[in-house]
Amino acid sequence: MSLTISPNPADRMNKVLPQFTAQLPDIIRRNYGRWVDRKFHGNGIIEHISETGDRVFTVKVGLPPNSRLSTETLKKLLDIADNYGLKVIRGTRAMNLEFITDSLDKALKIKEEVEKLGFPVGGWGGALWSVMSCTAYLTCTTAVVDAPSITQVLYNHLKPYFTGEIELPAKLKIGVSGCPNQCAGGIAVDISIVGHYGQAPKPDPERIKFCIPTKAEALKTAIPQIAAVCPVGAIKVFGKPDGSVGIEVDDKKCIACGRCKNVCDYLDWDPNKIGVAIFVGGKTSNTGTGPRLGYKVIPWLPVNPPEYKEVVAAVRRIIDIWRSEARPGERLGDYVDRIGVDEFIKKLGVPVTRHNRMTPQQWRYGLRQFFSQA
Amino acid sequence: MSRNEKKDPTSEAGNTETIAIKETVTAEARLLSDLERGMKMLEYLEKGPWPSYVSELRKTKYPIEVYAEGLARKYTPWLSGSFRVRYVFSGILARRSRDGKYVEIHFRTYTPAGRFYSTSYLRKIIDVAEKYGIGLVELAANTGALVINVWSDKADEAVDVLRNYVGTDVGSSGDTVRELYACPGPALCEFALYDTLSAMDYIRRHPFVYQHLNNQLFPYKIKFRFSGCPMDCTMGNSRADFAFIGTWVGPHEIDQDLFRKKVETGEVNPKELAESCPSKAITWDEERRELRIDESKCVRSMNCIRRAFPAIKPGRNRKIALLVGAHVQAHFGPKLAKAVALLDSVEEAMPFIGKVMEAYMDYGASKHRIGDMIYKRGFKVISEIADKTLPSKPRGAPSTHLRISIGAVLTDDERKLYEDWAKSLVKEYFGEG
Repeated sequence: MSLTISPNPADRMNKVLPQFTAQLPDIIRRNYGRWVDRKFHGNGIIEHISETGDRVFTVKVGLPPNSRLSTETLKKLLDIADNYGLKVIRGTRAMNLEFITDSLDKALKIKEEVEKLGFPVGGWGGALWSVMSCTAYLTCTTAVVDAPSITQVLYNHLKPYFTGEIELPAKLKIGVSGCPNQCAGGIAVDISIVGHYGQAPKPDPERIKFCIPTKAEALKTAIPQIAAVCPVGAIKVFGKPDGSVGIEVDDKKCIACGRCKNVCDYLDWDPNKIGVAIFVGGKTSNTGTGPRLGYKVIPWLPVNPPEYKEVVAAVRRIIDIWRSEARPGERLGDYVDRIGVDEFIKKLGVPVTRHNRMTPQQWRYGLRQFFSQA
Repeated sequence: MSRNEKKDPTSEAGNTETIAIKETVTAEARLLSDLERGMKMLEYLEKGPWPSYVSELRKTKYPIEVYAEGLARKYTPWLSGSFRVRYVFSGILARRSRDGKYVEIHFRTYTPAGRFYSTSYLRKIIDVAEKYGIGLVELAANTGALVINVWSDKADEAVDVLRNYVGTDVGSSGDTVRELYACPGPALCEFALYDTLSAMDYIRRHPFVYQHLNNQLFPYKIKFRFSGCPMDCTMGNSRADFAFIGTWVGPHEIDQDLFRKKVETGEVNPKELAESCPSKAITWDEERRELRIDESKCVRSMNCIRRAFPAIKPGRNRKIALLVGAHVQAHFGPKLAKAVALLDSVEEAMPFIGKVMEAYMDYGASKHRIGDMIYKRGFKVISEIADKTLPSKPRGAPSTHLRISIGAVLTDDERKLYEDWAKSLVKEYFGEG
């Protein structure tokens, strides 16, 4: 695969962009925009019916947390797609994998083959669609808690909800993010688990110098980025009498949002004080009550790798309450709004402090801004 | 050297005593180094019924010891590094471990719209990941990109191979236009109201966007999302600076005969359908056996369409809703999108997008997203541009921003309160042990 010609490196200024049309199998190209109906075959297989009478079948497969795959495993999956599918797979928004094929028999065969490799099939309808995870300790510099390991543990406990062995009232999406940046699904997923510092950052006395100017004079012309990014003005960078620069973080002002950590690595925190917050009821779909952000119902839980029992227990409690009380097709956010978020917190039994005292919200976002309600 | 002596992690594996890693550390466990504790944690993470990412990492040359140590210390082991490849100004991320022993370089690569990958495309990606990298990919990353880990000394050649052999490129990191994302739309879905895949391709190749793919000129990132219907599978409403969501104006298409048939076969319960409509726009006329939708009340929740498709379909006057300013990561916290206009095609949005990008470069403070700019300067920064660039298009009434604080500084007492509650919950679900 080595290149015989050496391309001019300056060409790299113009990015090469892949074409989707080259990736699509013939049957999809023929029926592009002509689908008229769908049918479900069990929890993870969906049949798309075209007006031309053609049919394709999608098989949805769960991936390891953070959709990390070794090339060795990926090759095995591609072999399955070549043998039984239409030589195409699709990575979904929610970190799952979809195989596409042209008959139910082949779809069932794909299901059998991926299950042999240990991959579950499911995640449609009233089920757990996915647990999205950011990379956290695998590569990330700002992660507070490790998301992939939490995701792994959650998946291990919640697998029956994915495969459809245990039914849920509606679709459930969970996101696990290592820090308040919320790279995994954002705050608009049904259950959002977010790592957070729970404390004001402490500048690393030795290395913070890399994030602030060396001379106090420089402060006259520009505010250093580390202070400018703070939304509450809790970070003060000041000139010292000797002409050097000092930095202070005001514990009382700090909201532990982690914006400063995004621009400077040398801010420390106490690993014994970190935890996760759990937001409930977010979604972006216009169904039900429409797009909405989650409520912070549990402001802090301890993280104890590798079992994360506290997080698992809290998530299971949330799901149990929803499962036993929601109407069919009612998503978690719609259910919480129907009974009231205070009532939900009461059912959950979580202590109420200044961190999870709620004000009722009016949800009129997304497309609803175009269509006024009478 | 790190503060723990590096040992062969497998040397403890033969030990018959399994040491549980709990918050109450046993005297024995305390003697173990962070690395050893971490490696035991990884063993635990490989045991469950769900496919394990740790097992996948072990099949590659990923420095798993670094990760294990971080896990045991509850502290991310990575610091940002700097790494340059000639003429590449976005898409390459470099990390170095805190002890300075390892580097981790990864590429974000552009993906075909809708993330349909032919197996031949992915086999080429595998070639690159194996020859130039550690054999690890992140197949369905949340950014929209496909991530490949590479070796630092081979990164330069890997860029050329990606460009000339695979037919994609590195990109979409930093303060630039990040990887766009479209739902499968007309390729697989009957609900798609416009061609999301072509729209994404069109905008990614449009000079206004394309010229920014390899620079870092913006205050922060810009994201585009394309959803074919109001169900918004790409999460444009909550995560995109520019969201294009398919919708329609005017009446639904109702096939009363087909609907009656669905009622007779019991597939649809018309009373329940009317009851479950979020805006109570539906009435079922029992005498005439007819379904009526009050279009003035409809909020496009897709509730009836999903339950009774194709008897009830979206109307024929299809529109693309343009919304701006949603994001998660930002100065003033997460925001949901604000309505701008209902368009007939994505092409119409381009002058608007160009002007908003210019305004963002002019007014946006460092690390502020477009939503932050709106928050600070008012929605008029957007509506003024919209008035000039999108004449006579139906407008929306933008909602207000909801303040949500994600993190918080907790006192020790509060922490104790929640810890105690968590303990009781653990007891309930896992028993005393």
